[in-house]
Amino acid sequence: MKVKESEYLKLKKPILKKLLAKLLEKYEYASILANDSKSTNYRVSKTGTNISEDGTLSERGFCAKVYDKGRAAEYSFNSIEDDTVDTVFNEITERLNTLGQTLPEGVTAYGFNGIEDEELYINESTEYEVDPETKGDNNIIDLLTRISEKGRAYDERIVNCNVAFSYQKYSKMFLSRNKDLTQNVMWSCGFIVVMAKEGEEIQNSYKPVSMLGGIEVLDTLESKLEDACKIAIELLAAEPMVPGEYDCICEPDVTGMIVHEAFGHGVEMDMFVKDRAQARGFIGKQVASELITMHDGACTIPQVATYFFDDEGIPAHDTIIIDKGILKTGICDAQSAMHLGIAGTGNGRRQDMTRKAYTRMTNTIFEAGTSKVEDMIASIKDGFLLCQASSGMEDPKNWGIQLMVDIAREIKDGKLTGKIYSPIVMTGYVPDLLKSISMISDKIEAGGTGYCGKGYKEWVKVSDGGPYIKARIRLG
Amino acid sequence: MKEKILASLKRLNIEEYTLNITTYKSAQMFFIKKSLDTKRAENTVTYNVNVFRKFEKDGKEMKGNSSVYIYNGMTDDEIDTALNRAYLAASFVCNPTYELMECTENKFTTMESDLFNYTIEECCEKTAEALFAADNRSDVFINSAEVFAYDTNVEIITSTGIDSGYNKRTITGEFVAQCKEPQDVETYKDFKYYTLDTEALKSKVSKTLEYTLDRAKAKEAPKAGKYRVILSDNYVSDIFEYYNGRSQASYIYAKYSTFEIGQNVQALNADGEYTEIKGDKISMTLIPTEPLSEEGIWQKERVLLDNGELKTYQGGLRFSRYLGIEPTGYYGCTKVNAGSMSVEDMKKKPYLWVVNFSDFQMDDFTGHFGGEIRLAFLYDGEKVTPVTGGSINGSILDTQTNIILSKEIQREANFTGPYAICFEDVPVAGV
Repeated sequence: MKVKESEYLKLKKPILKKLLAKLLEKYEYASILANDSKSTNYRVSKTGTNISEDGTLSERGFCAKVYDKGRAAEYSFNSIEDDTVDTVFNEITERLNTLGQTLPEGVTAYGFNGIEDEELYINESTEYEVDPETKGDNNIIDLLTRISEKGRAYDERIVNCNVAFSYQKYSKMFLSRNKDLTQNVMWSCGFIVVMAKEGEEIQNSYKPVSMLGGIEVLDTLESKLEDACKIAIELLAAEPMVPGEYDCICEPDVTGMIVHEAFGHGVEMDMFVKDRAQARGFIGKQVASELITMHDGACTIPQVATYFFDDEGIPAHDTIIIDKGILKTGICDAQSAMHLGIAGTGNGRRQDMTRKAYTRMTNTIFEAGTSKVEDMIASIKDGFLLCQASSGMEDPKNWGIQLMVDIAREIKDGKLTGKIYSPIVMTGYVPDLLKSISMISDKIEAGGTGYCGKGYKEWVKVSDGGPYIKARIRLG
Repeated sequence: MKEKILASLKRLNIEEYTLNITTYKSAQMFFIKKSLDTKRAENTVTYNVNVFRKFEKDGKEMKGNSSVYIYNGMTDDEIDTALNRAYLAASFVCNPTYELMECTENKFTTMESDLFNYTIEECCEKTAEALFAADNRSDVFINSAEVFAYDTNVEIITSTGIDSGYNKRTITGEFVAQCKEPQDVETYKDFKYYTLDTEALKSKVSKTLEYTLDRAKAKEAPKAGKYRVILSDNYVSDIFEYYNGRSQASYIYAKYSTFEIGQNVQALNADGEYTEIKGDKISMTLIPTEPLSEEGIWQKERVLLDNGELKTYQGGLRFSRYLGIEPTGYYGCTKVNAGSMSVEDMKKKPYLWVVNFSDFQMDDFTGHFGGEIRLAFLYDGEKVTPVTGGSINGSILDTQTNIILSKEIQREANFTGPYAICFEDVPVAGV
């Protein structure tokens, strides 16, 4: 079934068009982005049950963007009626006029030739099988409770088993002089976190599921519970890693973290504008093994960051960033594209209507290769299988790697020994790691239960993934 | 909208609820080098309703809750539908019953701040002016910056009679300093103030520019091994998040934490056994950054640790009620005692002083802390060398009895306490 268009936005559309017409009389460019989004989180654990609307993802709001003598300005609001159009218009013009009248000494305001506004009409929806709202809150909580209770009963060292489901259903509308765009999207995700305790130390394991769609995403969650319990207990006996450089096989979620954190952030082209990304000087050069082809795009794969147009009214792309090891291009929002004199790639995204759009990743992956996972493990004499990516930080300027992985499983003479190490910090120089990739498995897996920040804020939903990869990696 | 929501709650016979109304006015400026790239303004209001429902399950009294957002322009029917759905959802939330926050007094306060002397646009512009004041060098400069000025008005209404609120002003932002020679490097810093503390911001920018210059000279990573590690600035407050996390009522209730009131938690090792504290003893005070929590708890200063001894648990209503302790709300600021040694004395023996990480993590579950080193100063007993790369991987449980706190103090929006902290024998993954 297709996600339905928001009745609220349909109701507001003629009112917003009136406001847009007034803004276009005053400014050389004006657009309005409207969002009607509902997102609910369900969580069950030993400490309690929670059903709450997600304050970050749920909103009804609007963002008006104008260019005044080529200078970009935006106004966020969440209230407008037919009889308040003039009031909102006056507030927009007054507040945007007041701000920036006084600039720090030596600082000037940018001026652009004007944003491109090609004629475009979109009205599209993603598909789903079962709407969480029709499934019913009681049935969702019953399922999560069953999994949580089963997890807690698995072993006495397990102190908790958090099980969660969340979804977002949103409709966005973008209006400008020449664009009339509407999209209706729903994604869902869930996870299990098992916490095991011994002495003062607590370890946890994490199993996620995510998809573009509805509550059908939970069909596979319960099957991951036993594995999650086993890993949490295994981790209690984990030893600290002896720092060094090792041959490693990365599971797809660790590959995804390398794709996203280590390389993806470095090709966000707002970083090119600021001269903050080393990648700008590597366009057309080899940055990875010839086995590597990397994509990012809202239409690259159907996942949680799939959409039809971005928050600046640019249609979704599937951008090939690395083609057989050669860096081809980055990804871009509309404002940065104007700085660079290129076309946007549909990657301008906002956390919500009260935030600025930045260049952001969407669904970011490495393509599959031809190797079998068992052959990859058999090829390692002394190394590790890296599992359960936990966190990472970008370094576009220096291409330094800082990725945290929960588990390194020892491989000796082509076989897993059963010994595990934790926690693991992956460090090094991104192109060194990518160029060292020597084997890639024949299937990819991608997921997106988390959120991506720009620095330390501006959270948006993303997915990432890829195949198993074999590489030489410095571990600590 | 407030009256419409309250009328709907009455119409639907929802007896227990909290309604939080938050109005945001903001001014935002985004800079690339010495140019204003984008400016933004905001005027929004959110209505968040948390509804509670009593019921019985297996002979036990339960109280479920569910929260929902109500939006401007919703009709009475739409509000009824949203609240009714939340009320139904609350009946599936099987949490043991507890009492909502009782009303002790009702008042509206304006938090003291000189930011109220200016318009929100002026607050933003004056902060930007302070930010760029030190940006007057050719060898190191501000690459990009973002400045946000917020006026936040909060009103909390509950079914227990609370109808109180406050108005506060906040300045937040971030900047990136860049130095191109002898190598192209950058440093990220963020800031937050509740007053127009332009001198503090100027000082932060100046110090960051200096560190960035040093980082441009750093080439080598430290050798792998164990080091006497010094952390300073914001990484000091991150370390104390371990004690904040482990004293949370939610952690105690879930048995993630075995901290007990009266226990010297600083003296515990990884096996839960007591060892002698040979370093500085830690005293921590919780400082509220808002007068009223979203559950209606009036917040006040509280001693968390006294010479390493736990004095209070902290947390929201539900877990505090379950534990039978006084609910404190959540705190945005921590004050820690100064230590026994000056930074200068700390640096008399060999050290690795890390002043910038790419991302620093303090895991309050495991006690592990660490991150990749962007800039550190390595003193081998003879000379100081700036180094970059590698990572530290320490454990508070292995080190807390030997930590040394600096005599010098730092003051930030979320932390007042020692400027630096020193750990013995911290593993470092280097070259």
